[in-house]
Amino acid sequence: MPLPTPATPSVAAPPLTSLVVDGTLEGAYSIDFSRPLTSEAGGLPAFAATARAVGRGSLMAVQVQPDAPPRAGALAVLGNWTDPGLLAPLACGPATGRDGRAEWFMICAAPPGAPLCGSGLGPLTAWSEADVIACVLRPAALALTALAARGLTHRAIRPDNIFRAASGGAAVLGCAWAAPPALHQPAVCEPPYVAMCQPAGRGDGSMADDVYALGVVLLTLILGRVPMAGLSDAAVIERKLELGCFQALTAGARLPSLTADLLGGMLADDPQQRPPPSLLADPLAARSRRVAMRPHRRAAQPLLVEGAIVWNTRSLAFALARHSAAGARLLRLGVVDHWLRRGLGDTALAARLEDAARPRDARAAPMPEPVTAMRAIALLDPLAPLCWDGMMLWPDGLGPALAASPDAGAGDATKLADLVAAEAAGGWADMRPDLCDAAALRANARSQRAMLRDRSWTGGWARLRYALNPLLACRSPLVAGHAVARIGELLPALEAVASQARQDRAVPAGRELAGFVAARRLGAAERLLAAMTEATPADEAALIQLRLLAPLQAELASGPLPHLAGWLAALAAPRLDGWRNRTRRSDKLRLLQSAAPGGQLAEVLAILDNEPERQEDADAYLAAKAAVAAIDAQLADLDSGLLSRAAAARQLGQEAAGALALAALAVCAIAVAAG
Amino acid sequence: MARAASRKRPRAALPWVQGLLCGVAAVAAGPTALLAAALLAPSAVMAMSGAEDAKPVARCMMLAGLAAAVFPLAALWSGGHTIDLSVSLLDDGGSLLTAWVAQAAGWLLVELLPVLIGAAQALQAKAQARALRAARTQLEEEWGIAPAAQPADALAEDRSTTAS
Repeated sequence: MPLPTPATPSVAAPPLTSLVVDGTLEGAYSIDFSRPLTSEAGGLPAFAATARAVGRGSLMAVQVQPDAPPRAGALAVLGNWTDPGLLAPLACGPATGRDGRAEWFMICAAPPGAPLCGSGLGPLTAWSEADVIACVLRPAALALTALAARGLTHRAIRPDNIFRAASGGAAVLGCAWAAPPALHQPAVCEPPYVAMCQPAGRGDGSMADDVYALGVVLLTLILGRVPMAGLSDAAVIERKLELGCFQALTAGARLPSLTADLLGGMLADDPQQRPPPSLLADPLAARSRRVAMRPHRRAAQPLLVEGAIVWNTRSLAFALARHSAAGARLLRLGVVDHWLRRGLGDTALAARLEDAARPRDARAAPMPEPVTAMRAIALLDPLAPLCWDGMMLWPDGLGPALAASPDAGAGDATKLADLVAAEAAGGWADMRPDLCDAAALRANARSQRAMLRDRSWTGGWARLRYALNPLLACRSPLVAGHAVARIGELLPALEAVASQARQDRAVPAGRELAGFVAARRLGAAERLLAAMTEATPADEAALIQLRLLAPLQAELASGPLPHLAGWLAALAAPRLDGWRNRTRRSDKLRLLQSAAPGGQLAEVLAILDNEPERQEDADAYLAAKAAVAAIDAQLADLDSGLLSRAAAARQLGQEAAGALALAALAVCAIAVAAG
Repeated sequence: MARAASRKRPRAALPWVQGLLCGVAAVAAGPTALLAAALLAPSAVMAMSGAEDAKPVARCMMLAGLAAAVFPLAALWSGGHTIDLSVSLLDDGGSLLTAWVAQAAGWLLVELLPVLIGAAQALQAKAQARALRAARTQLEEEWGIAPAAQPADALAEDRSTTAS
C-alpha cells in the first residue's frame, strides 16, 4: 500500500466572517491581553479570551506569526468539531493587538490543565503503563481517528502540546492549527524523514506521522524523560537512520511488554508499518499487529561524505542531502557507485544509481548537480523527502516554506525558486512512483512553474506564495500592520490606509498586492490585473483597481469607503481628459467630486468607465471635426470667390441696366402707340 | 487653318454689310435716318469707341436713347416724314437734349448697377463668413479643436468689430 501522497494545500480559504475590532475577534470574542498564557499554545504566544455572547471564559487566543500562516484546510474542516480530545479552532481572524497593530489570532478552547511536560513545570515523572494507555494513548487515538475521518492530520503531538487536568482524566491534544504543520515539532518527535526537512516545509504529512509522534510521547512518559535529550537535531536524525527509530529512541531501555509491542509498531521506520489510530484505540488489538523490524544492510567499510561517516544507504542519502555539492561530486566521480558495489555489495542499486545520475542520451547536456543529487537520494532512500541543493522538504510543504523564506532572490528563496522552476517535485515523484501520486505531483509542479514564470503582476513569486498559502497575510508595505490575509479584509485595510495617507501619492496596488488579490480572487481579478505593469499610467491603474474593488465592495457589503473612493477618484480623474466635449467633461468631473465622498466605488466607476457614453462622445467629436472642416471649406470658398463675384456683379449690373432701358423703351413705345 | 479663315470671313465682312445697310436705309428713309443718327449719336460713338465693355454699355445707352427717340420719330412719321420736318425737330433742341440725357442716364445706370450689386454681394459674403467663424469658434471651445489660422481680412474685421 503506497504512502498517502501529500497533497498541495487547498487554495480555498475559510469563509469571510472576521472584522478588526479593538481587542475583539469577529465581534464575538474578547481577548484579554493582560492575561498571557505561556505554555498553553505549544510555544506560540497566547492570551485568555472569552466568548461575548455566551460568556464562556475558558478560551484562548493563539497569536499567528506573520511568516507562519495557519492551516486553512484544517480551519475549513474543523468548524463543528465536538470531540473533547482535541483543542479545535472556534474562530480566526484579525484583531487589534497590544501595540495597536492588527494581528491574526485563532480562538480555541483553553486546555484543561498544564501540558504533560514543558519548561517551568519541573522534572517529568515516569507514568505507569496503565495511566499512559488510559489517559493518553486511548483518547489521543480516538481524536486522531476522528481527524483521519475528516482527512486531517494533527502534526503537533509533543509532550508540551498535550494537556491534562490537574485532577486527572483524559489528555487533550493541543492546538495545531495556528501554524504550518509540524513547524514547532522537535526532531525527536518526528520521523527522521520529516525531522530532516526545514521546519516550514514538513507538510501535512500523514496519520502515520501523528502515530509516530504519539509513540514518542508515550515513550517519554514511560521513561520519565525525553529520549535522545541533549543531542542536536542532525545527531538525532543520523542516529535514527543508523539504528532505526525504535532502537535509537529506546536506547535499550527496559519497557513494559505491552508498551514495547505498541511502540515497536508506532515507531516503525516505514510509515506503512505503523498502526492506524483506530487500531491504537484498542491497545491489545494493536499489540497483536507485530512489525518485523529488519536491520538495514550495513557496509563493511564506511563512506566519508564531507566529514559524515555513513554505513548504510539511508545515512548516505541524508549525507548527500545535507552536503549536496560534495555529494554531487562523489556521484560524478563514481565514488558512491563504487562504495555501493564494493562496500555494501548492492550491485543492482549501484547500476540503477548509475543510470539515474546520467542522462539517457549521451549527447545531452549533463544534469545539473541538484537534479543529480535529488534523483540519487530518491533511489538510495525512497522514503526520504524531496532534497534540493541542500534543502529538504515535502512537496505539500512548499507553500509554508515559501511563506517562511524571505523575498525572492535571497537565501533559501533562490533555492526554492530553482526547485519550482525545475519542476523538481515532478522529477522526484517519478523516481518513487509507488510511494506517491506521481501524476498529481507532476501536474502541480507544472502549474507552479508556470505561475512562477509568469512575468505579469498576476504571476511570479508573490502570486505563488499567496496561492499556496490561503491564509498568509499580505506583505505589501501598503497594508502592513493591518493583517490582511483574506480578500474581505483588504477593503477595510485600504480604507484605513487611504484615511491616513496623502491622496496625491502613487496608486495603491503594487506587484505584491496584485499577487495577493490574484491568488485570493481568481477569474475576473486575474484578467484585470494581468493588464497592470510598473509602466501602467497611474490613472489607468487606478481605474483597473476600481474595476477590481467595486464588485468586491458590493459582494462583501463592506459599507461606504469614502477615503478609498476619493483616493482612487483623484488618481483616475485624468481619465476624464479623454472625454472630448468640454461641457460633458466638466459635468463628469463635478459628478466625480460629488460621488467620491459617498464611498461607493461602483458609483465612481460608473462615472469614469461608461463605455457607451464615451463612444457617443467620440462619435460626436468626429461629427464636430467634420463640421469644422465644412466651415473651413466654406470660408475658403468665400475668400477665393472675390474676383468671380466682382465679374458676376458687373455682368449682372449690365444686364439689369439693359433690362431697365428696354423696359423704358417698351413703355415709351406703348405710350406712343396708345396715342 | 482653312477652318480659321472661314470663321474670320463673316466678321471681316460685317462692317461692310452694316455700312451697306446704313446706306440703303439713308437713301430709302433719309429723314428717319437723319433724325435717328442725330438723336443716337452718343450711343454710336460709344459703340465705335472700342473701349472695354463698350458693347453692353452702348446697348444700354442705345435702348435708353431709343426710349427717348420714340416720340420725335413718331412725330416725324406722323408729320409726313420729310427732311425739313426732321431738321425742324432737331432744330427744336428739346428732342435732341432729351435723347442725349436719356443715353447719359443709360450710361450712368450701366456703370452704377454693377457697383451696387458688387457691394451688396460683398456685404452678404462678409456676414456669412462672420457667422461661419462664430460657429467654428463655438465648436473649437466645445470640443477642444485647434483654431484655424485667420486670414488678414478676418483679423482686420475682428479688430474693427472690437474697436466699434
